[in-house]
Amino acid sequence: MAIQKIMCACGSGLGSSLIVRMNTEEALKELGVEGIEVLHSTISDIAPGVADLFVVGGDLGDFIDGVDESQKIILTNLLDKEELKGKLKDHLGL
Amino acid sequence: MSTMDKLLKRENVQIVESCSGWKDSIHVAVQPLVDGGYVKAGYIDGIIENAEKYGPYFVLAPDLALLHARPEQGVIRRQLAVTVLREGVVFKEGSSPVRLLVSLAATDPDGHIDAMKTLATMFADPENIKKVIEAETADEVYRMFIAGIENA
Repeated sequence: MAIQKIMCACGSGLGSSLIVRMNTEEALKELGVEGIEVLHSTISDIAPGVADLFVVGGDLGDFIDGVDESQKIILTNLLDKEELKGKLKDHLGL
Repeated sequence: MSTMDKLLKRENVQIVESCSGWKDSIHVAVQPLVDGGYVKAGYIDGIIENAEKYGPYFVLAPDLALLHARPEQGVIRRQLAVTVLREGVVFKEGSSPVRLLVSLAATDPDGHIDAMKTLATMFADPENIKKVIEAETADEVYRMFIAGIENA
């Protein structure tokens, strides 16, 4: 399935998630990927169908059980752009 | 001037020796924002409640936490505070201690985006986290944030 929307989430929807959203946008640009919408929100907004891919920190991995494994990116270090880029590449099939 | 200049005041930067556990560390790190009238005292409980519910989602990288809750949990005005804890605090059993606590009071989802960009850029390099943690005075910590690190 083509990824059109990526949602980055944290417990409040405006700190960690905003940083991850900016890094995701930057990583997509570096990977030469265009046309994907990136959002940031709270973890409680995550549900199957609201986005095609979800990016969260390790502590929140357990809270997105309803989402298929193939649609999750769980980060160890939220500031590590290389980790994010590598995982995005895998999910985008690049 | 940088956006950091508007969001971070010298009086909201502190170096603290130790805390008695992670909840206390949140009290200590957010208190300057309460004292300055940027958040209500309840904001501290908001962060603790969120952490109890979701785990420490605010730990961004080893040794660095961005303590924050939602605007409606008690934010009055947008602002940051910085606390260096000499003796790190463990937020989750088994994880490594955190020594740099940045407290964020955000009034909406992305009005603080420039400051977050600055923080993400500064601390993408773990060396910079180390520099702040090892600073000798709060003045030095403050200068590093305003300058986006540079000298030690």
